[in-house]
Order: sequence, then C-alpha cells, then structure tokens
Amino acid sequence: MIRFVLKRAIWVAPNILILTFLLFAILTSWLGSPSAMMLGLDASPAAISEMNRAYGFDDPIIQQYVRWLWAALQGDFGRSYATKQTVSSMIGSALPISIELGLWAICLSGFAAVGLNSLIPRGKISGSLISAVSVVSITIPNFMLGATLVYVFAIYLRWLPTSAWAPWSDGILDHLLHLILPVATLSAFYFGSFSMIYRAEYRSVMNQLFVRVARAKGLSATRVSLQHILPNSVLPVITFMGITLGQLMGGAVVTEVVFSLPGIGRTFVAAIRGNDYPVILAIGAIVLTGMMVTNLIADIVIAWINPQVRLSS
Amino acid sequence: MSGRLFQRWLGLSLVAAIVLVAILAPWLAPYDPNMSSGSVLSRPSAANIIGTDQLGRDVFSRLLYGARVSLVIGLAASLVGMVIGVPIGLVSGYVGGKADLAVVQVVDILISLPAIVMALIITAVVGASVTNLILILGILKWPIIARIVRGQVLVLREQAFVEAARSIGCTTTRILARHIAPNIMRVLGAQFAIATSTSIFTAASLSFLGLGLPPPAADWGGMVQSGFDYMFLNPLLTLAPGAAVTLTVLSFYLIGESAK
Repeated sequence: MIRFVLKRAIWVAPNILILTFLLFAILTSWLGSPSAMMLGLDASPAAISEMNRAYGFDDPIIQQYVRWLWAALQGDFGRSYATKQTVSSMIGSALPISIELGLWAICLSGFAAVGLNSLIPRGKISGSLISAVSVVSITIPNFMLGATLVYVFAIYLRWLPTSAWAPWSDGILDHLLHLILPVATLSAFYFGSFSMIYRAEYRSVMNQLFVRVARAKGLSATRVSLQHILPNSVLPVITFMGITLGQLMGGAVVTEVVFSLPGIGRTFVAAIRGNDYPVILAIGAIVLTGMMVTNLIADIVIAWINPQVRLSS
Repeated sequence: MSGRLFQRWLGLSLVAAIVLVAILAPWLAPYDPNMSSGSVLSRPSAANIIGTDQLGRDVFSRLLYGARVSLVIGLAASLVGMVIGVPIGLVSGYVGGKADLAVVQVVDILISLPAIVMALIITAVVGASVTNLILILGILKWPIIARIVRGQVLVLREQAFVEAARSIGCTTTRILARHIAPNIMRVLGAQFAIATSTSIFTAASLSFLGLGLPPPAADWGGMVQSGFDYMFLNPLLTLAPGAAVTLTVLSFYLIGESAK
C-alpha cells in the first residue's frame, strides 16, 4: 500500500510543475507583458520597457516562473492589478464561500441521488420519472436553472432573496436563506451525474446471486436495497464526489455569477474579464494543483478499498 | 427497449426542428435580429411575441437566429474533437506500448481539468470568435473521445476477425481503417452527439459569463446574461433563450444516450 501511494505521489509533483509552468508560459507570452497591461493602452514604449526591466519581465520565462513559484510556495501571489489587494487575501476570503457552497451541494445531491434511487421502487412510472429528472438536471445549464429559480421563488413568490451572500455573522437563518437557491442550482447538475453513475452500478449489482439470496430468504425490498445493494454499488459515486470536490477549487463559476456570490469562481471571471494577470495565474494554479491532489486522494482511496487496483499497477 | 426508442425519436425530431429553425431563420423571423425598433424593453405583445431587449431589438427574431450560432459552434467543435481524438485513440489502443502509456497519462490529466475554467483561460488568451470558440471547445473535447475510442479498440483488437486480418498480412493502417473503424461507428455517433451537446452547453456558459461572441451576435448565452438585469420587467428576456439552450443541449444528449 505504501509503495502504491509513493508511486502515485511521485507522478503528481512533476505533473503539477509542468501544468503550472505551461499555464505561466501561456499567460505571460500571449497576454503580452504585464507592464503594458498595468500602464494602460496609451503608455509610451519607453515607460513599458522601463517597468519590464524594473520588475524583471525581460528575464527568460523559466527564471520568471521559478521566481513566481518560489514566492507562491510562501503564500505570496502578488497583488491584483484591479483591486490592489494581495491575491492571497482575495483568495482567502473567496475560497471558504466556494467550499461551503460546494460541500452543501455535493453532500445533498449525493444523498438525494443514492437515497432516491435505492428507495423508490423501480416501477415503470417512478423509475422513468427519476431517469427523466436526472437527464434534465444534467442538460439544463446552471444559468438557466438559476434564472428560473430566481424568477419563481424570489420575484414571483417572493419567498427567498434573489442573490448575494449573507455571512454567518448576519445570523444563521439569513445565511441559510441566501444559500437555498444557489445550492439547489448547483446540486441539480451533480444530482444528475451521481444518479446516472449510481443507477448503472445498481443495475449490475441487482442481478447478482447474493441479492437473489437476500430476497429469497424473505428480506423486504427496502432492506435488500439499502443493506445489500447499496454498499456494493455506492463506491463509484463516492469516487466521483471526490473528483467533483477537486473541481470545485475553481469555484462553481456560473452559479456564483448568477447569484452574485463572492466566491473563487466569480473572482476568477472578474479577473479574466479585467486581464488581472496575477489573479488569473494564482487561481489557475490552485485549480490545477487541487485537481491533481484530489485525483491522487481518490486513487489512494480506491486502492485502499480494492486491492486489485494496487496489486495490478 | 421502448424507452430508448422514444428517447431517440424525441431527440432526433427536436434536433430536426432546431436545424430547420436555424436554416429558415431569415424567413421565420419577423424582424432583423440586429435592428432596433425604437421601443426599448417593451413587454411581450402581438408585434413582439417575447418583447424587445435593452437596445430595442426583437428578442423572438434574435432567438431564431441564435440557433445558427449554437448549432455551428456545437457541431463544428465536436467535429474538431473527433478529428483529433479518433486517430489518437485508434493508434494508442491498437499499437499499445510506450506511446499508449503516454497518451493515457496525458488524457487522464486533461480529462480531470474542469472544462469551464480551462475554456475561460484559453478564451481570455486568444479572444472569442466563432473559429476560436470552435477550436477551444474541440480541443477540450478530444481527450474524452480518445479515451472512449481506445477502450473500444482494446476489446476489438483481440477478436478473431482482427487476428484473421493480421494473419493474411493486412497492414496496421488497413486493419484500423477497414476492420476496426467500421465497428466503432455506432459508439462514435453517440459520442459525436454527446460532444455536441456538451460543447453547446459550455459555449453558452462562456457567453453567459461575458466571454462569448462579441456583442452584435445573436447568441443565446449572451441574451440570457443581458436579460438578467431586467428580470423584474420581463423574465422572458432571460428564460426564453435559456430554454432554447436547454432544449438544444437536451435533444443532442438524448440522441447520444439512446445510441450508446
């Protein structure tokens, strides 16, 4: 097991380095020199080259990358061109919001997908109803679902606030009320994917002998489903939940924009629209690193549960 | 299974309808999609079924023209994904060895990157135009296509008819083109439809975030975004183009899923 973990972990570090370097190189070479961006369109070439020299933007790209990486490892991602705040403080205030949103959505949709699909009998109507809901929740874009929910619950019925983030300090009730629509929007997509994965696995486990035995000895359908089929078909869902959590390092971009939540995703979109280079770079790098690390963790968990995986590789 | 068949027919007829709308847009649309009527943000009426937007343009006409943009970007992006992904998957699966290992490594990494974040970064760097969007979305699609093709080839290459072809001296290229490729056509068709569906989804999300096609273009994601501020006045400005995207994504997805 330890050998397996080490073998995987050794792959991850160089991958992170290569990916962040590619990101760095692409952003610096294509976006042009940061000085031109900072000084604006009407800056004189002399001023630009002066600034390039002062900040070391003329150095070879690998040298600039190493300098950036070294600072980044110490938590220093520079300052945002737009807000003049340090990038790390911007990320520090945005990340908890994205993570809270994501955790709610992933947990709720995971429970809903596994629960509904195991408890609702696979009759003709109820079965096809769940599969119809799953398909629609995968194909409806977040902005459409968000807009519809805002219209129905905030504008038409006036039950819930339209948007914005209420921190815990505003009171638990207010905090949760502001979270309902964004969490529902974000959950829909996850619910669809989790449900699809779980159903496929459930269907293959359902026909195995031990399930027939459980049924033959007279257990109720619910009991067979929850105690015998569920534990044997839930694993892929858990893996996928982990991977989804990793992708959330980039924030729930569209949902955060729809509901004006100041999370990582909205910060990222604002940075991209404003060419805010240090912020794009920092969030991009964090997303890539987060992805690689969660994938590693998912691999380890699978290998820990299923010895075939760790022995074969 | 009759459910499958129903899904396929529903998907196919919806796609046919959307394609027809896209082709016939100039004849179906009551107004020029980019011309202002003068009355800004008017509510739905007999003259403007959905109303007019903040620049006084007829939203219904823009909705019809929007089908063109979505279809062109979605179909072309998925074609680009195929053109890159299929040969890589075929060769990597059939030839195996070190090249295959490398492909698997790269594909695994690329697949796990969140599509929308990558699309945002690349769009910010190269700028959004129809061609750029097609290339960006296509490049984001190829790894998944390569992985699926590779998986199919791994199974097929062990089968007797492939071995027979090999033993009578067929070249690798011939085996891939004449014996393996025809057997993965069904899977490829399904993947093409699904890739189209997800590309339309991502393209619309990009435009919603303000990084889609530049302004005058009648583009659904952008219409949703610009209508969002006027939700209190006329929710249809947002919900109608949103429903159009959803319907298009759904119908391609249904075709793909039912053909799997």
